[in-house]
Parts: sequence; C-alpha cells; structure tokens
Amino acid sequence: MDKLTFPIVLTLEEIGASGARRFISHVELPVEGTYTVGAATDDSVPVSVAGISRGHLILEASADAIVLRERDGGTTNGTFFNGERVTAAALVPGSEVVLANVVALSIRGAGQDTATKIQEQPKQERQESGSRPSSGSSISDYIIVRPGAEERARGGDEFPGGLFAGEIVSTAALRQHEAYAGEVDFLALGGGIGNFVWVDHLRVYGVPISNIRVIGIDRICYKNYERYCLNSQIPRHERLRSNAISVPDNVWGFPGYASRESFNALFRGGKGSAGAIFEVFGEPTLAQSYTPMAGEVFKSLDKEMARIGWFDMFINGRILSMRKTDDGRYAVAYRLTREAAAANNGQREQIVIGRYIHIGTGYPATRFVEDLQNFRSANPSHRDYVINAYDPHDAVYDAIGRSGKPVTVMIRGRGIVASRVHQRLVAEHDRRNANLRIIHLMRSEKPYGDGAKFRRAKRPVFNDVEIQPFNWPKACWGGSLRADIERMAPEERAETFEILGGTTTAERSDWTEMIERGTREGWYVKYYGSIERLVPDESGKANLEVRVKTRSATTEYREIHADYIIDCTGLIGDVTRSPFLKDLVETYHLPRNNAAPHGEPARLTGISVTPDFEILGLQNGHGHVYAAGQITGGGPYAAVDSFLGLQYSALRSVDHLHTVRAPFVSSFGPLKSFGQWVRWCQGVAP
Amino acid sequence: MTPTLLGRWQTRLLLFLVLGLPLTFLYAWIYAGFDVFDIDTNFFLVLVVLFVVGFILDPVYIWLQGFRWDHDWPFAFQFFFSFIEFGIVLALIYFDVLWFLPSFLLSDFDGFLVILGHFLTVFIPSFLALLGFIQIFLVRWRFKAAELGRL
Ligand SMILES: Cc1cc2nc3c(=O)[nH]c(=O)nc-3n(C[C@H](O)[C@H](O)[C@H](O)COP(=O)(O)OP(=O)(O)OC[C@H]3O[C@@H](n4cnc5c(N)ncnc54)[C@H](O)[C@@H]3O)c2cc1C
Repeated sequence: MDKLTFPIVLTLEEIGASGARRFISHVELPVEGTYTVGAATDDSVPVSVAGISRGHLILEASADAIVLRERDGGTTNGTFFNGERVTAAALVPGSEVVLANVVALSIRGAGQDTATKIQEQPKQERQESGSRPSSGSSISDYIIVRPGAEERARGGDEFPGGLFAGEIVSTAALRQHEAYAGEVDFLALGGGIGNFVWVDHLRVYGVPISNIRVIGIDRICYKNYERYCLNSQIPRHERLRSNAISVPDNVWGFPGYASRESFNALFRGGKGSAGAIFEVFGEPTLAQSYTPMAGEVFKSLDKEMARIGWFDMFINGRILSMRKTDDGRYAVAYRLTREAAAANNGQREQIVIGRYIHIGTGYPATRFVEDLQNFRSANPSHRDYVINAYDPHDAVYDAIGRSGKPVTVMIRGRGIVASRVHQRLVAEHDRRNANLRIIHLMRSEKPYGDGAKFRRAKRPVFNDVEIQPFNWPKACWGGSLRADIERMAPEERAETFEILGGTTTAERSDWTEMIERGTREGWYVKYYGSIERLVPDESGKANLEVRVKTRSATTEYREIHADYIIDCTGLIGDVTRSPFLKDLVETYHLPRNNAAPHGEPARLTGISVTPDFEILGLQNGHGHVYAAGQITGGGPYAAVDSFLGLQYSALRSVDHLHTVRAPFVSSFGPLKSFGQWVRWCQGVAP
Repeated sequence: MTPTLLGRWQTRLLLFLVLGLPLTFLYAWIYAGFDVFDIDTNFFLVLVVLFVVGFILDPVYIWLQGFRWDHDWPFAFQFFFSFIEFGIVLALIYFDVLWFLPSFLLSDFDGFLVILGHFLTVFIPSFLALLGFIQIFLVRWRFKAAELGRL
C-alpha cells in the first residue's frame, strides 16, 4: 500500500438534510500523531455542526493510514464507513467516513512514499474514559493547522488575510478595517503565568489598568500550568519543584511561601509551624529543600489576579498573528472565543494595536517519543497501555488500583516526573493493589559518585539519578552562575547548559523510602537499556511484550511482560509548532538559540532575546517586544521556564521599559518599592 | 543565598551602615544610661573589627561555595559562620591582639555578656534583613547575587 505523505490534508463537509454538501474546511495534519475531532475549540479538528460533540472521534495519523476511532462509550448518532456503522475505520486516500450523518471526512489528494522520517511527535489530546474534560488542553490547536492558518498568517484569504501579507501594515488601513478593536500601550500575549508576572510588575511599577490588555485562551493564568501538573501527578495538595521565594504573586519574593505557611500555621495554632521555616533555614544541608504546595501557589495567584485587576484587562481569544505597523507599533490579530464574541455583536475577528508587547505563550507542543507513537498507531487496540506522562492518564492508576490482580507497569525515564509517577504507583500499591510491580527502565547506569562535574563542584547521585533540588543549580537564578552564563558565547553556553541542566530529580525522604522498600520487598526493579521491540503480548501474560536491549555484558536482551508503559522522558517545546510563533520567526527572520555544543550540527531552541528579554528583530521605532518562558530557552538565562525565571524576566523587561521611557513605568527605587510592598500586604490595588 | 564576592562585600557594608552603626549607637546609648556623652566608643570598635574579620573571611566563603553544586550558601551556614566571626573577634580581644581593644573588656563574665548582647542586637536584625527584608526595598538584589544597583 502506498504510504501517506505528511502533511496530510483532510476535507470536512457538512451534509444537509437533502444530502447536499457544503464545504466546511481543510485541515492539515502536520505530522504523525493522535488528534481529536469534535465540537470544542480545543479539539484538534474542530467541527461546529450540531450532532457532533466535544471529543467526538479520535484520529490517529500514521504513514500507513488515518485511523478514526469513536471514543470509549461510542457516539449517539454513529459513524459510517462504506455505508456501515463502525466504531473504527482506516482511511486511505479516496475513502470517506460520515460522522453522525452530518459531516463527511475524507483525505484530499493521494499520498506517496513518506519522504522524511518524523522525529518528534505532537502532543496527544485524548478525550476518553477517565480523562476529565478539564484536562483537555488547548495545545492541540497549535499542532493542527486549521484552514490555512499559515496562509492566513502570511496573507491568504482567511483573516487577517492580505492585510498581514507584508512585514509592515499601515495603521491608517487598520483603523478602517471592520476587525479594528482599538489601541493600547501594553499588550500581553498568552495570558499564562509568564504574562501574569509581567503584568503584575507593570501594575506595581505604576501602569494603570486602562493601558494594559492581555489576550489568552484561559482566563485563569495558571490554568494551563495546572493541567500539566494534574497530568504529571501533582494534585493541589502535592508540593511543586520550586523554592520558597519563587513567588509569581509577589514582585519582591518576600514573604515567601515558607514564611507564609509557617505564619498561617502559627496563627491558627496548627502544628508544624516552625517546620517550613526550618526547611528554608537549613536547606539543603540540615533539612530537605522546602517547596510550596501547588494549591497554595494557585490560591496566592487568585488573590493577586483580583488585586491587580487582571480580569478587567483580559480578552478571551486566540492570537493568530502579529505585524509591525508603520508608526512604530504592532498589530495583533486574534479571534475571540464564541462566548466573548457574543458580547461583541458576534464579531470574532479582531485587531488590536499595541506599542509594548510581551509574548508568553508557553510550551508550543509536547512530544511523544517515536517508538511509542509508532506502536500506538500500529496497534490501536493496545494504544491505551502506552502512555505519555504529560497526557491525562488518571484512568490508568484507577484501573490498576481497582483490578487487584497482578499488574506490571514500566516507567521509562528518570526525571522529576518519573519520580512523581512512581510515587503515585506506590500509593496504589500500598492502598489498593499489593500485586502491582514496577519496572523502572533507564537508559544507562549512573553509579554513585558519577554525577556531572562543573568547575570544583560535583552533582550527587542516588538510585541512578542525579540529584538537584531544582531543575538548575541554584546559582543560575540569581547567583554567580547567572552572571557567568549571561557573559558566555553561545557555544560555551550550550556546553554549560548540557552539564548544568540534564535529567535530575529532587531528594525527598519519601521518595528514598519508596525506592528502598520496593527494592527490598521485590516489587520495584530497575533495568538499564533501551526498548528494542514493543508488541502486543500474544502469550496472554500481560498487555505488552517489551524487548529491552540491555547494557550488561552477560545478557544482551531481556524480554519483559508489562501491562503499561508510562513514558516520562520529555516535554519538548519547539517554537515552530505554534503557527503564531512560526509565522513571526519566518516573517521577521528572527534568530534562534542553538543548543549544540561546539562542532556539532545546530539544534535550534528558543527565540533569541537580549538579557532584557527583548526580541531585537522585532524592534520597531519606539515599539518593543519581549518574551518569557520556555520559548526563550537556550539563551542568556538558564532558568527561563520556572516561576523565579519568569519573575527575573519580568523585572528585566519592565526595568528596560523604564529606560525606553514607556508611559507610567517608574524607576521603582527603594521607596516606591517599599510603598508598593505595603499595599501588597494590605491587599489593596497597586 | 547565592552571593558573589562583590555581593558579599557590598551587602556587608550596607548592613554595617544601615543596621550595624545605628543599632550599636542605640545599644551603647542605653548602656550609658541614655547619656550621649557617656557612650563607650569600644562598641563601635568591636563593630568595625567584626566587619573587617567578615570582610577578610568572605573570599574563603566564596571558595567554599565553589565546592557546592548549587554554588549557594544556605542560611544555616550564614548563621553558623556569623558566630565563628564573633568568636574570632572575642579571641582577638581576649589575647590582646588589638592594641585598641584591651583584654580587660573580657575580664569577667559580665564583660562577655555586654559584648554578646551587643553582637546579638546587631546580628539578629541583620540576619532577618538577609532572610527577606532587604528585598522589600531593593527588588533586584536577590537576582544580582547580593550586589547592589540595577540589573
Ligand atoms: C509539569 C510541570 C511542572 C512544573 N513545575 C514547576 C515548578 O514546580 N516550579 C516552577 O518554577 N516551574 C515549574 N514548571 C515550569 C512552568 O511551566 C512555568 O513556570 C510556567 O507555567 C510557564 O509559564 P508560561 O507563561 O511560559 O506558560 P503557560 O503558563 O503555559 O502560559 C501560556 C499561555 O499561553 C496561551 N497561548 C498559547 N498560544 C496562544 C495563542 N495563540 N493564543 C492565545 N493564547 C495562547 C496558553 O493557552 C497558555 O495559557 C513546570 C512545568 C511543567 C510542565
């Protein structure tokens, strides 16, 4: 059979009562992967036709076929293939399925041989049993390119169309346009935690609410982050991996979460009041490092959002593209959500003009490793046994706990998420299913004393994993290493990042205990090697049969029967997976950072920014564009994707705004700072 | 904390000027029975010696920090070494090393208590300042490895 070539273009048509067809859209699947078809805006293939529900179908695209499957529990109005009702169907060029008698879906154009092998897989969005609707992240929309999103960004027929065809648009023309929505000084794009911290700084430095607007999909700034946390097993009562003074709700970093926790306990006469303070005092020499509870961080953000008037600045929509204007500013095209549009006479397409922009769009997409993705595509019946730890997968723990029968779970990877998944499995083992066995697969052994070396220091190792309290050495945030890294040339920086970053986990006494106990009692086993073959288990012993190529001299291969594999190896952000960023990078030829050490082929990472987090290539007269978060990875600052990193970046860019004389931005000297801190303590508006 | 040498020196000087001197004055004034003309200047000399000892030890701390993977200086270390510094000052007085601070200041236990009281009066607020109060006034300090000024 002919292989399909990516991108694959799907055609969607609405079937009227008379059988007449009306074209809805072409949808481009850029790479192999799993997508959802449904009515929600965050479904990868959105179809707003009555009869189609949210997460209606799951679509698995591989080079062999496009496999469509109904979600668990089926659909009310059925799916039809060659006139027969089915629950799954494999589409090849020329075939067509009909959803609920109202929508026809087919592949446009015949495919040829796959020319390129795709390394990274997009984020899976799964709407199935057990995955709460709240876990449905909006990320899939970046992967899937909706009707000509890219053409649109570069001036196709769709909004903003020809208006944004060039590099510069005329303000006069924009003002005449029906989508024109107004002008503002400060414009934050994304609406996540990075944007929030920037806007918080602006407000505290003196900028009024009326001069700031934020565009984003989730009104609550931590919504996207909370989804990642829940999926990777950090519920609200669990502790995060950041230190006490990483406080995205407080510009000063004081009081930190530890003082607040202790103070609250003291105040309510609770026990353990001194504990948190002692952890900060003693960390990490006398006590393990203090980290705040997720729920506390979210509560503090709720409070600060209300204090600074976040919701009065917020516009609920999806950002499409941005262009420089001919008067030294920027035009941003966006599409309001349906609800937001209702209050705008149903007009969804909007353009706003701003002079100072902050881009904080977070992770563009997550990756699903290739071997597991291939397995899922080839074995649809077994796809639920192979899981990406960043995707919703609570149902798996539930099934394991409930079954009570022997279950074997393989964890792959050794970072912090592996530790959390492991912790969750141990909880199921202890509470509900003593027959659970955990196999931990790591690529190689990491003997004690073999940790990374940097100058005079060496990183400790425990249970084959390098130990680091946070994802970078502490001095990267505000110590000697921050200044050193800022000064380094790109190649030296890349080499340093390889040593200082890497896969690490935190030292926690409960994690140590679970590893030691599991090893002693025999239900936790470690193997070193890589998966060479993964197939459904025919022997009936388990769901999966895994052949691991070991690193040992005596046994070359090891056959493992496992019921589930939970992959914890990565969350990789590629800025070109976001159509918005891709268009910006291409239109203005923005330089990217390079993660490859000297002499190796380039590995492009984040968008290059100055130490003030400005994207220089976007400078336009008096207009400036800043960025924060993972999309600036690999640049002059290591810890960009962390709360404290976001605080640093906000401080740098807002200080820079003062030097370029942006309106209302004060110099924020000691007295102003103290005065604003008092207001923060009182909980009154800045 | 993750200070650099310059950061240590600058912060030490800041705390000396903003907390050390006024608090020493306050302590000495109370000790003198609220008579400004009766203030014992030895308290100021002790404070200066404490500052100099710390200033000289700072490069040693930085060198030690280099062995720590995080290149940090936990608060527990800060606490511990502050008392070491104080101990060194006491020894310098006790063994008459400094001509301007004679050992008779420590000739009895009461003398020791007076000096300890002075040390704690300065040390406790300074330590609390490091724990967070400096940041309220100087937002950039925590990202600048304890150095002063803008980023
Ligand atoms: C599992 C996990 C655990 C973590 N734990 C910690 C921790 O313990 N401590 C720590 O300091 N850091 C942690 N981090 C890092 C964390 O990601 C960052 O601190 C923070 O959430 C990143 O903020 P951001 O603003 O860059 O992205 P986000 O908070 O994800 O915000 C980006 C927003 O932009 C929106 N958006 C994107 N594109 C568009 C568009 N075209 N139109 C409209 N809106 C758009 C998204 O919907 C999203 O809401 C963790 C990360 C993960 C994944």
